[in-house]
Amino acid sequence: MGRLSGVSGMTDQRRSTHAWLTTPLESGTAAGFGVYLHVPFCHHRCGYCDFATEAVGGLAADEREALMQRYVRALEADLAAQAAVGELPTVTSVFIGGGTPTLLPPDELARLVRAVSRELDVADGVEITVECNPETADEELFGVLAEAGVDRLSMGAQSFDPAVLGVLDRLHRPERTAEAVRLARAAGIPRIGLDLIYGTPGEDDASWRASLAAVLTIGVDHVSAYALGVHANTPLGRAVAAGLVPPPDDDVQRERFDEARELLRGAGFVHYEVANFARSDALRSRHNVLYWRHGDYLGVGVGAHAHRDGRRWWTTRSTSRYLDAAEASVADRDARDDMGRMRTVTEEEQLDVDARALERLMLGLRLVEGLHPFDVPPLAVEALDDAVRLGLITMSCGRLQATESGWYLLDETVRRLAA
Amino acid sequence: MTYPQERIRNFCIVAHVDHGKSTLADRMLQVTGLVDPRKMRDQYLDRMDIERERGITIKAQTVRMPYRPLGDVGDEFLLNLIDTPGHVDFSYEVSRAIAACEGAVLLIDAAQGLEAQTLANLYLALEANLEIIPVLNKIDLPAARPEEVAEEIGSVLGVEPTGVIRISAKDGTNVDAVLDAVVDRVPPPSGRADAPTRALVFDSVYDPYRGALVYVRVVDGRIRLNDRIRMLATGFEGEVDTLGVQSPEETEVLELGVGEVGVLSASIKSVENAKVGDTVTTAGRGAADVQQLPGYQEPLAMVFSGLFPLDSDDFPLLRDALDKLRLNDASFSFEPETSVALGFGFRCGFLGLLHLEIVMERIDREFNIPLVTTSPSVRYRVTLTDPPDAQGRPRILEVPNPQDMPDSGRIASVAEPTVTARILTPKEALGPIMQLCEQRRGEMLAMDYLTPERIELKYRLPLAATITDFFDQLKSLSRGYASMDYELSEYVEAPLVRVDLLLHGEPVDAFSAIVHRDDAYHFGRAMVEKLKELIPRQMFDIPVQAAIGAKVIARETIKAKRKDVLAKCYGGDVSRKRKLLEKQKEGKKRMKSVGSVEIPPEAFVSALRVSRDG
Repeated sequence: MGRLSGVSGMTDQRRSTHAWLTTPLESGTAAGFGVYLHVPFCHHRCGYCDFATEAVGGLAADEREALMQRYVRALEADLAAQAAVGELPTVTSVFIGGGTPTLLPPDELARLVRAVSRELDVADGVEITVECNPETADEELFGVLAEAGVDRLSMGAQSFDPAVLGVLDRLHRPERTAEAVRLARAAGIPRIGLDLIYGTPGEDDASWRASLAAVLTIGVDHVSAYALGVHANTPLGRAVAAGLVPPPDDDVQRERFDEARELLRGAGFVHYEVANFARSDALRSRHNVLYWRHGDYLGVGVGAHAHRDGRRWWTTRSTSRYLDAAEASVADRDARDDMGRMRTVTEEEQLDVDARALERLMLGLRLVEGLHPFDVPPLAVEALDDAVRLGLITMSCGRLQATESGWYLLDETVRRLAA
Repeated sequence: MTYPQERIRNFCIVAHVDHGKSTLADRMLQVTGLVDPRKMRDQYLDRMDIERERGITIKAQTVRMPYRPLGDVGDEFLLNLIDTPGHVDFSYEVSRAIAACEGAVLLIDAAQGLEAQTLANLYLALEANLEIIPVLNKIDLPAARPEEVAEEIGSVLGVEPTGVIRISAKDGTNVDAVLDAVVDRVPPPSGRADAPTRALVFDSVYDPYRGALVYVRVVDGRIRLNDRIRMLATGFEGEVDTLGVQSPEETEVLELGVGEVGVLSASIKSVENAKVGDTVTTAGRGAADVQQLPGYQEPLAMVFSGLFPLDSDDFPLLRDALDKLRLNDASFSFEPETSVALGFGFRCGFLGLLHLEIVMERIDREFNIPLVTTSPSVRYRVTLTDPPDAQGRPRILEVPNPQDMPDSGRIASVAEPTVTARILTPKEALGPIMQLCEQRRGEMLAMDYLTPERIELKYRLPLAATITDFFDQLKSLSRGYASMDYELSEYVEAPLVRVDLLLHGEPVDAFSAIVHRDDAYHFGRAMVEKLKELIPRQMFDIPVQAAIGAKVIARETIKAKRKDVLAKCYGGDVSRKRKLLEKQKEGKKRMKSVGSVEIPPEAFVSALRVSRDG
């Protein structure tokens, strides 16, 4: 089967077959280097959520505080151990996600932010994002975060319809989101993004439109709109499997998304990734763009994933196992491997070239600009022709990009390209 | 040791599945001292796993039991129990096993009463002039109704109900009385020892080391080890390598005399050379006066189905599997078939639906090849509008595969095979069962009350109607109490049409079916709806149509999918997402395509199940 290195015959003789991996122009190592810190704590676990979370709503205040403090110490130690190995690239973005990181006492959260710049080489103008739930927001918190260098908030609004928020098990009142955004701005955090979920049982066209209108009224610079995903091992997944809740309808979700896209673009947003909109390219989530550019990142904390040099690894999703391992490895040098990872709670997969090529496509084509010609993995000519003929893919100036329909059918597109 | 003719008794047991035939046979082995009770497996005589699990005997087994009735001071008697296959599809095999006997134990479950299949086999035994020994089994069960059932048997056989032996094979009660009755009432074999050898083949089984093992009943003359033998129907010639009897393990003997039953091998490569019903002789070719024993028939495939490997790479494996099955089953036939939708496979012929299911199960169990099976079809007889042949006869085409049905313009008429079905039912289910038969285009031939509670119905039904879910329906309408047996009857003309299923305008050959004109719409609608449900949405709208010729009779549309990815994908989602795509890519390789439409093979399996269930 004929394979093109690069796209459309633009083969540069000086570039090796795996140049798309070894010397990419925008993707992989060229995309920067990120650090992801995971804070698993939530008041309770929402019915649709399949993240690594730890519900602490039932704990007494002092127990909760002790647990959180213990966790932050473990994270710091884990980060320090992985950084101590050395030779990590300069950090261009930090993302503290959860869970609900803002459940941590503000000072503890700030400690985490500071730990990154203490342990690692951090670029000027590094983006530091903290995920936040509206109900946890207050003036003091935002002040402390701004002081620590956090320049971006990603706020889980999810919906502005109380009924939908109820189905999603979210605790906040709709108006709370606007208030939280106002407080964050007042505290001096410059960039704020809101997350929305659509296709939730009980949502209708009107309530979705109302949520979008509310987002535009609040005035943020980034919006993520996700189709509700049903995961088997969640209460929602079980309810759908049992026939108690109807499964989300693909066509309805597409309609909701089209509605969002039209409204947001009308309001000046750029639709830059499958599910993400930014007021300008400069206001994209740099950390997330790193993921889509197939970049490398460290992952620290419960259930956190990392990616480097064609390897992916992740830690246990159990907070207690993570804590035990982190504490045990302080005294025991052998508890960590040559990359500073805790042996007992880390799993790793080595990716072969085919798997990396599949990832490059699957991630890179999520971005509106697609892949730079030099970053495209080798493709079968027939598969490429087929995808172009079917209107899933275009090539403009040698860049491999999904068309609008290819974007919505990205799984199909990638399956065809990587065949 | 050869027994004198007058001390030999050859008998079979006629019974319905589950009425305790194998249990009785097992008990006989114990009573006659052949099997130590401690070594007894349940149902010793049923050897194949499938038979054991389904509770039916496919291949006949035979066992030789020396027996001396209590108080008898003379020489031992030799009892040969010839086990019979237990299902309608194998009625020919049953008839040959019966032909090898002089007597039959009619075994009836005292709770269940007579069943249609028992009755059918009983009639075969009566036609063959066998001495019938009626026996009521399971008298120990609380639900037993011995008086009533004995009366039923009495009325069918025209004997006094009091003459029916009542036993419990399970606990052994009265089993010796059955053996005594066999000795007393079954006549000894009547052949001539000095005539040229003739032995009836009543079964043959393939053995990988010895070739076909041929079960024979010597009618005239004798067979000795190393004799040169000849099969009169197939013309096979060979030398007897091994000669034995089963008691119940195989024991070598040097000779089988008149009336004796045994098993021989003669380096016969396939059971096709030793067909059930054939006659074995030791006379050379010159001895032209040796007459074939009566009743031989070539096995006739009545039900056809296409077998395709789910994974097309399995085609050579499937071919090997079918070759191996054929070694052991002369009534099963196959030839290569190509389907646009399903690729390479085989068109297979079976005696009936159960035979088909048994073969499927064996392929699955012994060879483990996942299959797509097209809906079973019968052999239609199409009279063409073409000019008559040289003798002025109309041109007739046999069509065992719906795909081969000619265009309607060339069809003068279509005839389909019918069966005469005998249905026994409790009177409560009479109405619904008659309704079922009418729905399936049945024509009532007779209705008789065996007792005030049980009715025998006779219907002529299209064979095609009985190879769908007819039997299941019958059972469910009668809460399991009705039973059915059938024999093939003549071809009857009917307004039959071929319904094609089209995806995106392309006919999917594997789904074509020949149905009655009145059922065409219903069938077409059910199929398009099912296909709409089973075929995943693709990048474009896919019209699903059912059509007779160019006329569309039902239509649905599988709408194009409009999104497959709108969810988030961040750092922690990459591995899972990649693995999902890799799995889907693998799945895509297995897809069958019709035109530009990709169909998961499982959709074929499910859709064809629908079309089979009518």
